[in-house]
Amino acid sequence: MIRKADILLAAVLIAAGLAVSWLLAAGNEPGQMVYIITDGKEYAYYPLSEDRTVTVQQEGHINKITIKDGKVSMVFSDCHSQDCVQRGKISKTSQSIICLPNKVVVEIRGDSQEYDAIAQ
Amino acid sequence: MNSKKQVAAGSRIALSAMMAALALIFSYVEAIIPFNFGIPGVKLGIANLVILTSLYVLSFRYTLSINVIRILVAGLLFNGFFGAMYSLAGGLLSLLVMALLKKTGLFSVVGISMAGGVAHNLGQLLVAALLVSTGKLFFYFPVLLFSGLISGILIGIVTYLILKRLPERPLG
Repeated sequence: MIRKADILLAAVLIAAGLAVSWLLAAGNEPGQMVYIITDGKEYAYYPLSEDRTVTVQQEGHINKITIKDGKVSMVFSDCHSQDCVQRGKISKTSQSIICLPNKVVVEIRGDSQEYDAIAQ
Repeated sequence: MNSKKQVAAGSRIALSAMMAALALIFSYVEAIIPFNFGIPGVKLGIANLVILTSLYVLSFRYTLSINVIRILVAGLLFNGFFGAMYSLAGGLLSLLVMALLKKTGLFSVVGISMAGGVAHNLGQLLVAALLVSTGKLFFYFPVLLFSGLISGILIGIVTYLILKRLPERPLG
């Protein structure tokens, strides 16, 4: 029932999956800035080193994001899936918290973006 | 001769309607009992049992109709608008990949289902990335790739067992 082409295809897919994981792991460094993006636009950014809680209110949705001890987490969301809250704390550049229903993304970025901030 | 053709067309349509209803029930079962093991976006995709079987028993055209009807009705009943959009992207990409691979004649139903599972998850990820406009979502790609691979293989094995038990020409 299983043919040679099936096994070859599985091997290619597994190799692709491993390659992507490896590439993603390569970008895994501690970040400096927390960017909050809503509906594809930058909403706000904060240094990862300062503790605070931000309430994001847009389009009738509420998300609360807490920065504490160099880690970010989504502490509250009014979405139904709650995947973003369950994602827990993040602190590395390759990580992000995404609340799909409310279209809120929390990203961590490293040093390289700081030049842009200075230029502005 | 003509009436015989009409009977065959009629039975194909009746069979399609039945398949669409069965696929919808499977979608419903999966909506109330998600087999996601706590990982968002992961699912078994039991409705694909029907879609895959239909691809072998009926044709691509009928299967496409069955799948679109299933997704739209499931969207109206329990998945919601965005749920239907994700399903549509995943379902159409997956069906297209499966139909193309089947056409090559190189793959078994297990291989076809496996590729379909991966394509389904990739389609959903693309729509999700468009909706929140961030490429960051692709950190999730490996998880979805492997989960699609595994669920696709499981669904493929079950479909193989189903196809083996179906009469040679179910439409007479």
